[in-house]
Amino acid sequence: MSEAASNVTGAWSGFSYIVTNLARFVRPNEITFSGVNSALPMLACLLAKRAYPFAFTYINVAGGVDPNPSKVPISSSDPVLAEGSRAIFANEDFYDLCTRGLMDLCFLGAAQVDGLGRTNVSCIGDWHAPRVRLPGGGGGAVMLPTARRAVTWRTEHSRRTLVETLDFVTAAGGMHGVVTPIAVFTKREGRLVLASWHPEASLDEVRDRTGFAFSADGAAPTPPPTPEERAALTALDPEGRFEADAGIRLR
Amino acid sequence: MSAGTQKIVPLADLAARVPDGSSLALGGSFLHRGPFAFVRELIRQGRRDLEVVKQSPGYDIDVLCRAGALSRAKAGIVAMEGNFGLAPWYRRAIESGDVRLEEHACASLTAGLRAAAFGVPFMPCGGIHGSDLPALNGWKTIEDPYGSGEAVYAIQRIQPDFAVIQANEVSASGDVRVYGTSHWDRIMSRSAKRVLVVAERVAPDASFRDQPELTLVPHFLVEAVSIVPNGAWPGSLWPDYEIDYPAVEAYMTDAPGVLADHLAAGPEAREAAHV
Repeated sequence: MSEAASNVTGAWSGFSYIVTNLARFVRPNEITFSGVNSALPMLACLLAKRAYPFAFTYINVAGGVDPNPSKVPISSSDPVLAEGSRAIFANEDFYDLCTRGLMDLCFLGAAQVDGLGRTNVSCIGDWHAPRVRLPGGGGGAVMLPTARRAVTWRTEHSRRTLVETLDFVTAAGGMHGVVTPIAVFTKREGRLVLASWHPEASLDEVRDRTGFAFSADGAAPTPPPTPEERAALTALDPEGRFEADAGIRLR
Repeated sequence: MSAGTQKIVPLADLAARVPDGSSLALGGSFLHRGPFAFVRELIRQGRRDLEVVKQSPGYDIDVLCRAGALSRAKAGIVAMEGNFGLAPWYRRAIESGDVRLEEHACASLTAGLRAAAFGVPFMPCGGIHGSDLPALNGWKTIEDPYGSGEAVYAIQRIQPDFAVIQANEVSASGDVRVYGTSHWDRIMSRSAKRVLVVAERVAPDASFRDQPELTLVPHFLVEAVSIVPNGAWPGSLWPDYEIDYPAVEAYMTDAPGVLADHLAAGPEAREAAHV
């Protein structure tokens, strides 16, 4: 069974799990933003528009404001994401919106996340002599402390991605949410706590594969995707192209 | 910066204005509306010791690193994007120490450019608190002089030697029109010492007079312009063309001759050779 088919027929793929749970952070009547290098949050925002019975404002790095794109682009900064937009809300605009406190939810990338929800997107190893030079945080250092809520995702759930100590603190301020192929974390009293785990995983597995200590009080298996969520993701990725590109595995 | 004189020059002449060691603010973002024909022409002319100043460079910084033309960068996030991941030659250049990075948040780089555009020595920037970037870059906070008790990071002025903008259309006198998002091109064009432009085509002067609100940069800020159809290749230029994914994929191959083949495949090279 292909991963794309699995989205339709039952098992919950890591790809669908991440996109769906990112979308579940979107709330009615808020302003939500997706940026560069962010195919999964872009899909989550488009999924939320299709699957949820409420209005919200979706802005993106292509300048789009509630766009009506003619197709779903591979690049999450593709100008197609401004098709049908009623305005071009360009880069300086959405950063300024965020720093003056009006960005309700933004999705920000991370290579490492620690238990405080801080991120490293800069380097593996010492910054001055890196083993791996990573892309850099883009908006992170400015948006993570100033957005009302920021959410990140990791396509790999492991002790090298969810760490006790970051190699470098690119952005602080604390993620409101973190989604991996097997778990959803959220912030409580300044620390990440487990909100739920993939129905095919377990609390023990999440603990075993997480580098930081966390509370799991109140955590439970993640509710499965609704028919609306499944249908929306299938409509956005009918041939499983994004799912194949993402190459996400539960373990 | 003169008005009304003939500003349209061949691409080779435009690139020849950039001396070794220059800092260049390059317009666009990742694979979208970047001045990529211009960047390739710098490489053909053997330019060295350049600096890229750009919030989200990708292909442009990568190909300059691959050609050994770059020594410094100020950037917020660097990737090929699409489904291509990291920019491999940039990554190698940083890891080896061949290129020195000043790592920014996109908005801190914008703040530095704003300082230059506004004619002041520094610009406050929101956020940043708790990040390791200030210690790395020596950024300082200042307390609100009006007594709110709030402390903000003050980013030093960043004034690039050149802004190079990839545009849809220009007038014969050098007014610049861009469709879709302007990314950071506006602040780049106001902060740099000199502005160079590569455009797809010339549009009638009357069309600029009819819709002046579409003009991103007026001619008196623009030093010179080249007309290069398809000049943002292998990236996109909305609404004229999309990313050429097979061309980017071919570029990503790490083998002898790939860079030379890639440079030869640029539309500006094909036109010069009358292919």
